[in-house]
Order: sequence, then C-alpha cells, then structure tokens
Amino acid sequence: MKPHRRKKLGIIIFIAVGLSTAIGLSLYALSNNIDLFFTPTQVAAGEVTPGQRIRVGGMVKEGSVEHSQEILEVSFITTDYNHDVLIKYAGILPDLFREGQGIVAEGAMSADGTFVASRVLAKHDENYMSVEVKAALDAAGNTPGMPQGVLQ
Amino acid sequence: MWLWFSKLGSPRWFYELSSKWLPWLYAAMIVLMAIGLFWALLIVPEDYQQGQTIRIMYVHVPVASISLACFPLMAVAGTITLVWKMKLADMVAKSVAPIGAWFTGLALASGAIWGDQIWGTWWAWDARLTSLLIQFFLFIGVIALRSAIESQDAAAKACAVLAIVGAINVPIIKYSVEWWNTLHQPASSFSMDPVAPNPPEVWVPLLIMISAVYVFFVIALILRTRNEILQRERRSQWVIDLVSREKSV
Repeated sequence: MKPHRRKKLGIIIFIAVGLSTAIGLSLYALSNNIDLFFTPTQVAAGEVTPGQRIRVGGMVKEGSVEHSQEILEVSFITTDYNHDVLIKYAGILPDLFREGQGIVAEGAMSADGTFVASRVLAKHDENYMSVEVKAALDAAGNTPGMPQGVLQ
Repeated sequence: MWLWFSKLGSPRWFYELSSKWLPWLYAAMIVLMAIGLFWALLIVPEDYQQGQTIRIMYVHVPVASISLACFPLMAVAGTITLVWKMKLADMVAKSVAPIGAWFTGLALASGAIWGDQIWGTWWAWDARLTSLLIQFFLFIGVIALRSAIESQDAAAKACAVLAIVGAINVPIIKYSVEWWNTLHQPASSFSMDPVAPNPPEVWVPLLIMISAVYVFFVIALILRTRNEILQRERRSQWVIDLVSREKSV
C-alpha cells in the first residue's frame, strides 16, 4: 500500500474508532434514559417519584390478575422475581396479555404504592414454535425459561 | 489478488461481468422467493402465542437484516473511495443508499404492523425502534447530501464520510435489544431439535426468505450500479459502442 494511502486509511480508522468510543461512552452514561421501562426492583429501590409519568415492565405474576365485575378495570402484579409492583388499569388489554406474560405498563406511581396505568403493552419473547411443539414441551415438563430474555 | 481488485474497480469490467450474472440471479430469486413465500405463508404452523401473525416475521426479518447490511456496505465503499479513489466504489455507494432507505422503511413498516397486532402499539420509543428510525434518516441524509453537492468528486467524499460515521449506528441497532430494556424482543437462537423453541420448521423457511430477499437486493444493487456506470461513462468509447450496437439490433 502506498504511504499516502496508508496515512489516509489510518486517519479514517482513527476517526471511526474515536467517534465510536465517544458515542459508546455517551450511550453508556445515558443508559437510564434509553431504557424503555423501570423494573420492579428499580421501583422498590425508590428510583421513581410518585406522579412522574414512567413505564414499568415485568412479568404478570401467576394468579394475580383480578378483573372487576362491574367496570373494565383490572389489577395485577408485575414482577421481576425479586420485587413486585401492583398495577391498576382501566382499558383494553392486548390479546397477548395473560399470566406469566411480559408486559410494559405506562402510567404513574400513586402515593399508596400502586401503579396506575393508562396503557398496557404486551412483550413477546424470542421463542417461536407451533402449538404442538409447545404442548410437547409442556408435557415433557421442560418449558423453556420464559422469564429469560423477556425481562431484558 | 491486487490485479483482481484493480480489475473489479473498472466499471466496464463490472458491467460486462454483471451481464453474465444477472440471468442466474433472476432465476435464483424467482425460485427462492416462490419456495420461501409458499412455505412461510401456507406451510409454517401457527405460533403458540402469536397465531397467524407470526408470518409477518418472514418478511420483517429479511428486510431488517438487509437494511442493516446496507450501511456497512456503503461505509466500506466510502472508505475505498476515500483511500483508493476507485470509481466503481462510489457508484456502488450511490446506488445502495436509496435501496437501504427503502429496506429500512420496509423494516419499520412491517415492524409497526406486527407490533400493532402483538404489542398493542405500532410504535414505542425503545432503543431498537428509535435507532432504526435514525438509520432511516441517515440514509435520507446521505441521499440529500449527494444531490446537494454539485461536484461529483466532492459529493463522493462527503457521502463517504457520512457513510463511515453513520455506520457506527449499525452495532447500536443490532445490540440495542441486549444493552437496554426494550419492547422489542432479543434475537432468537435457532435450534436443530424439532421439539424445542425455534425448531427447524420455523427457521428453515426464514432462511430461504432471507436468501431470496438478499438475492433481490443484489439484483437491485447491480441494476442501479449499471445505470450509474452508463451515466458516468457515457463519453467513453465502450459505452458509445454499446449503445450503437443496441440501437442497430
């Protein structure tokens, strides 16, 4: 390679590496702002001020979903298996909503420690399979680790 | 190796060679696309969670993966333009930008349709969606930059720099789902086991669709580049000969 070309390539690589480092460091510093939602552990650690509009994400705890008999209100517990957050929501839930499913709720913490959601979104995991395969796996008792990945 | 490299840099050589490749690529694309679409839309079983909606994946994943390949390609072509001043590299860089913009737009659109069904929203400002939207704007920026600068050489250099800088966004898009918590799910790992998550019945048709769309991308890129070659080399003898031969036929 000719010297002037080597020099040019060197400059390009230097700039690319320098910029990547700068961007990498700023993204790392901003990671709290880039995260889409708070986990129940972060909520329990007091990182959230009541009234502030935030999102909370986690799994819907088994057996915690309670539908109101009169109105379209539902309450459920979302968990990251360390801490829980009680969520109250009045509205239409996504089709994929059910116990054990990953969800993201948008709303604010109230003073009594429950989370009042104005919107609930369903996350889905990266495992795709047919109904038959799922049934076979369940029958064999080795359901793939559902929480894994979904909470990321 | 170096001879091959300098030969590849010759637009005429590329034009003639690609004429021989194109029929094969067309045939491969038609066959792969037919098998892939048939398999993905009709044979793949319903997903245990998502039902029929899973079929959107067989469009979304191929276009998204190609949209991620376009920027590094443009950055490599830009580097070659800046360092070796190879004419063909800039023609490729110019040709890939609109294709990349289209594929990024399609990835965003197909993702929005899928998300509307499964998440309950067509858009969320999570790291994956936002970084891909930034890539879309970067492609638009590269296209606008090129048309804003009149001198062809200056435009080539400016676009090369923007392509190299913008390529930093690609690993951010790729790893966004691992570095931050997002609504978008992480990448799947495929299993050889037929009774496991992501079994072959799910990913084999996906692989066929990815290769079909890749071949389509290569064809589109070659056609655009050939156009660019003819336009830029219109005063050279071989293009004049070629055109007069076409006319006489």
